[in-house]
Amino acid sequence: MIRNLYVLYGIIVLGTLAMAEYRGWSLNSVNEVKNVPKSVRDNPGSYRSVYGFYHHYTGGK
Amino acid sequence: MTQPTANCPNCGAKIVFRWSSSVQTVCEYCKSILVRTDIDLKKVGQVADLPPNSSPIQIGTEGVYNRQAFVAIGRIIYEYDQGTWNEWHLVMNNGSAWLSDAQDEYVVTFAAPGRNLPTADESQVGQRYTWDSESYTVATITKAHYRGVEGELPFQYWDKHDVVFVDLMSTNGKFATVDYSDETPVLYLGQSVEFDDLKFKNLRAFEGWS
Amino acid sequence: MVVSASGPNPPGTPRVKSLNCPGCGAAITLRSFSQAVTVVCDHCHSILDAQDPRLTIVQKFKAAVDEDRRLIPLGTRGTIRGTIYEVVGFQRRTIHVDGIPYSWHEYVLFNPYKGFRYLTEYNGHWNDTSILRSLPAVNDNVNPATVTYLGQTYRLFQTTKAGTSFVLGEFPWQVRVGEAADVSDYISPPRVISSERTGKEITWSMGEYVSGRDIWKAFGLEGNPPEAVGVYENQPSPLSADTTALWLAFVGFLVALVVMFIGFESFAHNEQVFEGFYSFDTKVRGEASFVTDVFQLKGHTSDLELTTTSDVNNNWIYLNYALINEDTGQAYDFRREVSYYHGYDSDGSWTEGSHTDSVAIPSVPPGNYYLRVEPESDFGHGTISYSITAKRDVPQASFFGLALLALLVPAGFITWRSMNFEHLRWAESDYAPASSGDSNGSDRPTTLGNIFGKGSNS
Repeated sequence: MIRNLYVLYGIIVLGTLAMAEYRGWSLNSVNEVKNVPKSVRDNPGSYRSVYGFYHHYTGGK
Repeated sequence: MTQPTANCPNCGAKIVFRWSSSVQTVCEYCKSILVRTDIDLKKVGQVADLPPNSSPIQIGTEGVYNRQAFVAIGRIIYEYDQGTWNEWHLVMNNGSAWLSDAQDEYVVTFAAPGRNLPTADESQVGQRYTWDSESYTVATITKAHYRGVEGELPFQYWDKHDVVFVDLMSTNGKFATVDYSDETPVLYLGQSVEFDDLKFKNLRAFEGWS
Repeated sequence: MVVSASGPNPPGTPRVKSLNCPGCGAAITLRSFSQAVTVVCDHCHSILDAQDPRLTIVQKFKAAVDEDRRLIPLGTRGTIRGTIYEVVGFQRRTIHVDGIPYSWHEYVLFNPYKGFRYLTEYNGHWNDTSILRSLPAVNDNVNPATVTYLGQTYRLFQTTKAGTSFVLGEFPWQVRVGEAADVSDYISPPRVISSERTGKEITWSMGEYVSGRDIWKAFGLEGNPPEAVGVYENQPSPLSADTTALWLAFVGFLVALVVMFIGFESFAHNEQVFEGFYSFDTKVRGEASFVTDVFQLKGHTSDLELTTTSDVNNNWIYLNYALINEDTGQAYDFRREVSYYHGYDSDGSWTEGSHTDSVAIPSVPPGNYYLRVEPESDFGHGTISYSITAKRDVPQASFFGLALLALLVPAGFITWRSMNFEHLRWAESDYAPASSGDSNGSDRPTTLGNIFGKGSNS
């Protein structure tokens, strides 16, 4: 009984592993921002990172 | 199949034989032990009061053993220091067998003639014998005495004095008994069976148990 | 009234007998019809011969009126293995270990068709016991001895001399208070095979462990069963783990893990899609951010490994990255730092940090992307050169390590719990196996031997 539960658990673990490797998951966390305007290519300074990491402005100027 | 009938020589009651090969029977009315001769029935003895019997089996109980149907048509009652037990005479399609019924433990055995058997004095608990390629160890030696008969039997049997039974068991659930009632010991081979496997019908009713 | 077809005097329906005790006149009920061999009077504790119609007294013993409380009163009916049984007898048996008495209780159960059965109870542990019909095979060529029955091997757990110290009700054998028997218990949890020898006769019985709760439910008893104290000889392990099977499964998973590792490593594209070399002048003020050229990410959604390499010397460079999808406007924001310090002190030379930093951006869909980069550093510390490389579809080795851990931990935990439990079980035995293995496959099965398949099968 325990053996069967463990086998099921192991299959889930390996399945998750396969999914992670195939879909390119990683342990790093990255902020996703949507709808960055195309004008950033011409003016990189107009884009500012999301204030997700710091709750105060740390950039230049 | 026609069942032979006769009349009891003692009281005149009608005697019906369920089995054509029965040698002896007991008149239900006057308890006379009757033996069949070529011509008629002869009274050879009388059955005294039987001890109280709490076996769930009765004359007429049916069942199945090894896919063969049987009917219990007679019994021999023995008494020993732990109480009594019954040896039920079963009749099947192809012959007769014995159902030993002791404290609701059931053993079915068949007569196995022509074997080398030890004498009653030679037997000891723990000794081993081999019959039909099965190894049996002597488990108990019981000194019993005959207490009565009922119904039809395949041989003559009454008023025995103390008899010795040697019970042997094998590791496969097989059972053997050596019966020292007569001068020549008789071997019975069989196995112990579970109550449920015998699929009994027409058992006795017990007060308070449905 | 005619029950059978064979005449006017049929055997009749057996009735429960009510008799009077020859010792004190109290009423005695015989519930097992004529099958009892011994019956005990509740009131005067006379042991009577039940097969004798006069109920001759065979022994009298002294006991306080209610010396031993029965957990299940005589006369209670319950269902065991689909059959209804009635409690007809009760006895207490005692053994002495180092002069200390330990007692357990036995209940005699009766069904007129199925016969007798027994329930034993010790410290809240219950066993459903019946007499064996076939003989078990004793293997006394091994030490400690084992017994084989119906293909299973039972290990010797205990040998004691058990004496009857209190009796009540009916018994299908001759009981006497004070009579002792040599008892040996052989276990194969949840079962136990006991041999009981008095004089020349040996009786074999088999018990199966039952929980107090199941007994209470079977007999419809009020309240709660007594708590089970400690671990009983044939008590099944609560995790019911067949550790051998568990570790076999683990090995199977390990093999699968290795195959997956090789597979992913071989089939991953590991494709370098971008490389750029830059220098950052820390003396210049103003907007330092810039964008790279567009590069294409092909194939299925996968990760993107970004590596920053810099020649910083006792310095640091901090980069605000954004990976931006040119077509959808989706951006992935992250910050990385490359720092490297070195020096020399009383312990010798030391270094801290690294010249490279890698990060894996997860689950990036295919498409055209560019990077927006904004470097930062201390003002006025010269020019820092750095390069940025991006690799598509890089397998993450750390996940394999995590999966290995995830598979190992439960198996290890269950095995540890099981070993703990078995240790508690065998602490009560005089025949405990050695706790460290005899590795040459000797007849002493050990707990470790169990893991690697040497022990009995459960």
